[in-house]
Amino acid sequence: MDDISSSPLNRREFLDWTTHGLGAAAIIALLKTGGVLGAANARPPTGFPNYPARAKRAIHICLIGGLSHLDSFDYKPELARLHGRPLPSDEKPDIFFGQVGLLRQSDWAFSQRGQSGLWVSDLFPHIARMADDLTVIRSMATESANHTPALFFANSGFQFNGFPSVGSWLSYGLGCETDALPTYVVLPDGRGGPNGGASNWSNGFLPAQHQGVVLHGGRQPVRDLFPEQPRAPREDAAVRGAIDAINRHRLDQGPADALLEARIRSYELAARMQASVPEVADVSGEPAHIAALYGLDQPATAECARRCLLGRRLLERGVRFVQIFSGGPIAGSPRASWDAHENVRENHTAEAARIDQPVAALVQDLKQRGMLDDTLVLFTTEFGRTPFTQSAADQVGAGRDHNRYGFSVWLAGAGLKPGFALGSTDDIGWKAVDQPVSWYDFHATLLHLFGIDHTRLTYYHNGIERRLTNVHGEIVRGLLDV
Amino acid sequence: MNRCTWVLLICGLAPRAHAGDNSPAPIDVRHFDRVIAPLLAARCLDCHSSQAAKGGLDLSRRERALRGGDSGPAIVAGNPGESLLCERIDAGEMPPKHPLEPAERQTLKSWIAAGAPWGADPIDRFRYTTASRAGYDWWSLQPLAAVRPPAVHDTAWPRNDVDRFILHRLEERGLTPAAAADPRTLVRRLYHDLIGLPPTPEEVAGFTAAPSQAAYERLVDGLLGSPQYGERWGRHWLDVVRFGESDGFERNEPRKRFWHYRDWVINSLNADMPYDRFVKLQLAGDLLLPGPAGAAAAGFLVAGVHNTVVGSSERMIRLARQDELEEIAAVVGQSFLGLTVNCARCHDHKFDPIPTTDYYRLISTLDGVNFGEREVIDPDSAAELAQVNRQIGQIQESLRAIDLPARQALRAERKLRDDSKPASNRVQPFAAWEFETDLRDAVGALHGTAHGGAHIADGALVLDGRGAFVQTAPLDRRLEQKTLEAWVALENVAQRGGGVIGVETNDGVVFDAIVFGEREPRHWMAGSDNFVRTKPFQGREESSRAAEPVHVAIVYRDDGTIAGYRNGAALGQPYQTGFMPFAAGAAHVVFGMRHAPAGGNKMLQGRILRGRLYDRPLTAEEIAASATTTDEHLADDVVFQSLPPEVKSRRAELDANLKSATEHRDRLDARSKHRMYTIVPGQPPVMRVHVRGGVTDLGNVAPPGGIAAIVGLSPEFGLAPDAPEAARRLRLADWVTNPANPLFARVMVNRVWHYHFGAGLVETPNDFGFNGARPSHPDLLDWLAASFRADGFRLKSLHRLIVTSAAYRQASSSNRRAFEIDAGNRLLWRFTPRRIEGETLRDAILKVAGALNPAAGGPGFEDVTITPNNGTTYYEAFDPAGPQFERRTIYRFTPRGGRSAVLDSFDCPDPATAAPRRSTTTTPLQALSLLNNSFILRMADRFAARVAADSGADRAAQVRRAWQLAVCRAPDAEEERLSLKLAEDYGLSALCRALFNLHEFVVVD
Repeated sequence: MDDISSSPLNRREFLDWTTHGLGAAAIIALLKTGGVLGAANARPPTGFPNYPARAKRAIHICLIGGLSHLDSFDYKPELARLHGRPLPSDEKPDIFFGQVGLLRQSDWAFSQRGQSGLWVSDLFPHIARMADDLTVIRSMATESANHTPALFFANSGFQFNGFPSVGSWLSYGLGCETDALPTYVVLPDGRGGPNGGASNWSNGFLPAQHQGVVLHGGRQPVRDLFPEQPRAPREDAAVRGAIDAINRHRLDQGPADALLEARIRSYELAARMQASVPEVADVSGEPAHIAALYGLDQPATAECARRCLLGRRLLERGVRFVQIFSGGPIAGSPRASWDAHENVRENHTAEAARIDQPVAALVQDLKQRGMLDDTLVLFTTEFGRTPFTQSAADQVGAGRDHNRYGFSVWLAGAGLKPGFALGSTDDIGWKAVDQPVSWYDFHATLLHLFGIDHTRLTYYHNGIERRLTNVHGEIVRGLLDV
Repeated sequence: MNRCTWVLLICGLAPRAHAGDNSPAPIDVRHFDRVIAPLLAARCLDCHSSQAAKGGLDLSRRERALRGGDSGPAIVAGNPGESLLCERIDAGEMPPKHPLEPAERQTLKSWIAAGAPWGADPIDRFRYTTASRAGYDWWSLQPLAAVRPPAVHDTAWPRNDVDRFILHRLEERGLTPAAAADPRTLVRRLYHDLIGLPPTPEEVAGFTAAPSQAAYERLVDGLLGSPQYGERWGRHWLDVVRFGESDGFERNEPRKRFWHYRDWVINSLNADMPYDRFVKLQLAGDLLLPGPAGAAAAGFLVAGVHNTVVGSSERMIRLARQDELEEIAAVVGQSFLGLTVNCARCHDHKFDPIPTTDYYRLISTLDGVNFGEREVIDPDSAAELAQVNRQIGQIQESLRAIDLPARQALRAERKLRDDSKPASNRVQPFAAWEFETDLRDAVGALHGTAHGGAHIADGALVLDGRGAFVQTAPLDRRLEQKTLEAWVALENVAQRGGGVIGVETNDGVVFDAIVFGEREPRHWMAGSDNFVRTKPFQGREESSRAAEPVHVAIVYRDDGTIAGYRNGAALGQPYQTGFMPFAAGAAHVVFGMRHAPAGGNKMLQGRILRGRLYDRPLTAEEIAASATTTDEHLADDVVFQSLPPEVKSRRAELDANLKSATEHRDRLDARSKHRMYTIVPGQPPVMRVHVRGGVTDLGNVAPPGGIAAIVGLSPEFGLAPDAPEAARRLRLADWVTNPANPLFARVMVNRVWHYHFGAGLVETPNDFGFNGARPSHPDLLDWLAASFRADGFRLKSLHRLIVTSAAYRQASSSNRRAFEIDAGNRLLWRFTPRRIEGETLRDAILKVAGALNPAAGGPGFEDVTITPNNGTTYYEAFDPAGPQFERRTIYRFTPRGGRSAVLDSFDCPDPATAAPRRSTTTTPLQALSLLNNSFILRMADRFAARVAADSGADRAAQVRRAWQLAVCRAPDAEEERLSLKLAEDYGLSALCRALFNLHEFVVVD
């Protein structure tokens, strides 16, 4: 009987795809050759990584609302000197709420940290202790000062709904190192999802398996992992057994059928996921000193600590991309995010208290396990905050408005120059002036560390070979350790 | 187009730039146009054309090319060696990133050596297709070719002309089609394809017993005639037009009244509305067809995302508007023309011959599109309604003539109203509503209209806190600084977020309003869009007896200062934020609602005694003075008792008349008024080219018009740049659907083909441009398009033609030889098996379980929780039980980001962007959903109960029945054995759960 096992997609290769961690891009190529996905991507990209990767996995701490760079990672003595004075130019800043008050110095003292002497403020005392492992970009600039477009932009390279996020692109290009866990896992803030909700970890136009999978607490850490309504003991295994037997029976009776083989395989992987997800989600077996390191034992930090620890466990087991959100719904009073319009001191104190120790512990823990060598930690925010306060023109208010012209993010780990800060804003931290970095550049660099040429990771959608970096992006070589 | 050209294009070579090499053809003017101009256009003119050319070198005109740029003459005719151009290209310096191939260099040198003869001047970059972009000669832009079905060797196979095209290509490659599918496979395929539901065992048996050609045709006609056809194919269309029932972006508010569009699509498809009519109504239905159907159709224009948080500056607002227009232009261009016109917003299209000017001409036709809800009246009832309203108006006028003097007399008598103040102390309001007897503006023309049960009683506007509000006519003058003022009696002080009086833009997106208790309980605040101009006044809590009226005023100054007052005294502290003027015609006043659309926590519960709007900031003294005019309420009954007896009886009579007329009106209203989310048209400004897509650098005026590149179709609309909005969209609708527009028919027949076969003749249904795929059967595509057009754009005829073809009726069995030649089955040597879509899967499960509720139309069922939380709306999937949730999936409420596990894992796209084709994945998460999802388990139980009811207690009979229902066939011996074992060990429900998970259940072959 004619079958396709003699075709370029031979049955053995097909069955091996997930165990070899082959990227989905390559799988689509295989399926395409096999004639399964007739309407799939017309021009599948070449295999990834394109060149040896420095990073194999990443964990992204995503700050909702806009962290004040002026109060954290961008030390501006000139701003302190000009405290209480107006913006030293004739410029009429185009900012979100339109109110331009007087300049305000940082609410926290800065000092140089570690061997590297990196400037970090007292807002993040724990993270500051990891300064020698951080690579700060002090010259970020973005295109929107509006929360949701800015957040979408940081995550997907576009300001609109419907574009795949970084984690989805990595999943598409590189696949997973494990077949027992999702490739891209999302851990939202316990206070609620970020603005834009699930659109932030959407696969966009990429195939569905590349979307972020939310990992919850409780008996159902991943949706539908176990039967939603209780079933008789062992029924599950019997049902799965019958499905498998009938599907295999069909396979034996008929010609080779790649689609059917893929389906049989998907049920095997589902069973593995049922075993591995609860195992990874259960942090109770972690030793006491590790739990304490993350702050799992303290009320202020416990929630974020659990997620950071979970993040490390997921990475250890081969998950490609973990995303941890710091901040929930954007509006409201009191704020549940970094959106410090009213009072930076109060707001940032409260938010930092939740994440400082857990995030620092994550970096330290990855490092002591030797994982930081091929793991990236990303610490980003939507935009920065203004050096002048959001108040009447003749007042020094307590809050700061959104600043898209200049802000700071940091990275740590694989392939980066540690204990180093790149670029700078102007003297008062209003705009990036030296080596400005866009999200396009940031994403190009990130993909580069994963061994991916950002111009080659593409997916055709409605007339355009879409990229994470649109038609832009330059690798920021200055961040790299070589 | 002749076959030769097709072959060239299909191979993607388009090598005209090379064609001159070694060719005996003379190097003349013609050679220039065919060879040199395309080469220059493709490789040089992106930088070296127009006034702003790099290095001052403009190679688009002969005279300038010879003159050269900053470095001197570029071309010395007859002497390549002296030509700077040749020097640069030989050095590989130009073009900078991708130097010319040696052959291309030689071509240019030969041309210069031959004296550089020049043809069309200036070079039109879009004229010819090159290796890197499409020109006006691009295949899809050409008129439909007159094609005859080709001759074939095997004359027995074709069942209709479609098959001749297919077989011809197969025979060319030495391939033969697969055998015909067996009747059971065919009937199952047809049901899934045409109505998106599996057949019942009885329906299968009915056909397989006598599967004649006539029986098949009857089956096809029956399915096309069933209402489920529109539900199936309507879903496809909703994918294309990115239909979603929430705004997207930050607020992502639900659109609870947008189902009208979905229903209109389903009904139109069921009625076999000609496709040109179908499209015209979507572009201009509100203009072409007054009433709910036309307005619902035009919902197409606003089916996409809408950012309602746009920032405070003019630049941000204008940029957001341009983003909105790009989104609409994209869906218009891609859905109807297969052209990605949106790619020409910031620069000329990189791949297709669409200049930026054309893009702005197109969006000029769409710039009147705004998002919002409208109340639409059935035209049949409109006259009657108007008549009843006139009658009600007359009665109210008579009542007013009685009541007003009586009320004034009573007030004077009781000295409740302080009329003794000299007039000079009084400030003339911009508008004033007394709400004594009606909703009229006592000063100007901002008369109110009641909505949702708002009414006047006891000399006050009564609001129920649910849907009642009053909206006035649009502002007749621009409003800058202002004061809002109202006397209001709250029904209770626990309510959170209702608006008393406010000014809002017509779409409800931008507003300033007096709002109670939204952010802080019991506190008044100056409500505004996204709290942009809102801060706490830090004033006193409202703890007074609920029904006692208070006087509230908020003053807005143009320096951004906002001050609140309560009963004439300052309410906490003024603060400074931004300032928002409201344009004449673009905004109106609302009472009882924070801002449109109505619903949620935006509605006030209480009575408004009087409202005033001033076009200036009142001083504290003026407000204090105004506050003292607060009066107690004169109950209607008190007024009535004061009337002389004869007037009393007259009034009672009028009252009775009013009651019956109002009841009549309400009945008519309920029948004929439809509130829906759709286009809210507005007169747009003159459109200009936005240089590089920004909003600060504006170029030439772009009068309304179409895309010039479509051959045989004029882009001129004959409209002035300031033409009325309606004229613009009507002309656009005519232009898009013009029979001379070849793309219109090509794109749609390809879509239909795509859904029938799993892949289009062009594999990129939304892109017929350079970046899209080339047609696998160009002749067939044109033949189908021409037939479709000749047939009056009837979709059902097109379906019939396709599904009765032998090509469609092939088996899905594979064939080694064919597989080696054409693994992707582009030539259709078999039917490609397909996994069914998420919606079809869910519908099939409902039907097989015997749970499917066939109720059609109306508001969608909600299997997501909707949680507004501080400015963002969250949607969380859950599994509600009950027949109202067991309707077909097309009736599911589909907010953006509100995805359900089963649909999601089966590749149901989020409606953030158009999904003209879906991906098909097979993942462990999909397996988990189908195994464990609450809905699946519930349906497995239902399925089991149904099977038990159908076939009694005999296990074997149950197993066979379950198989028949699930996959339209009996199990074989092994399958029966495995099934029996499972059912015996764990019950029938376990077997039903397994059957839903079978490969065969989720695949149609």
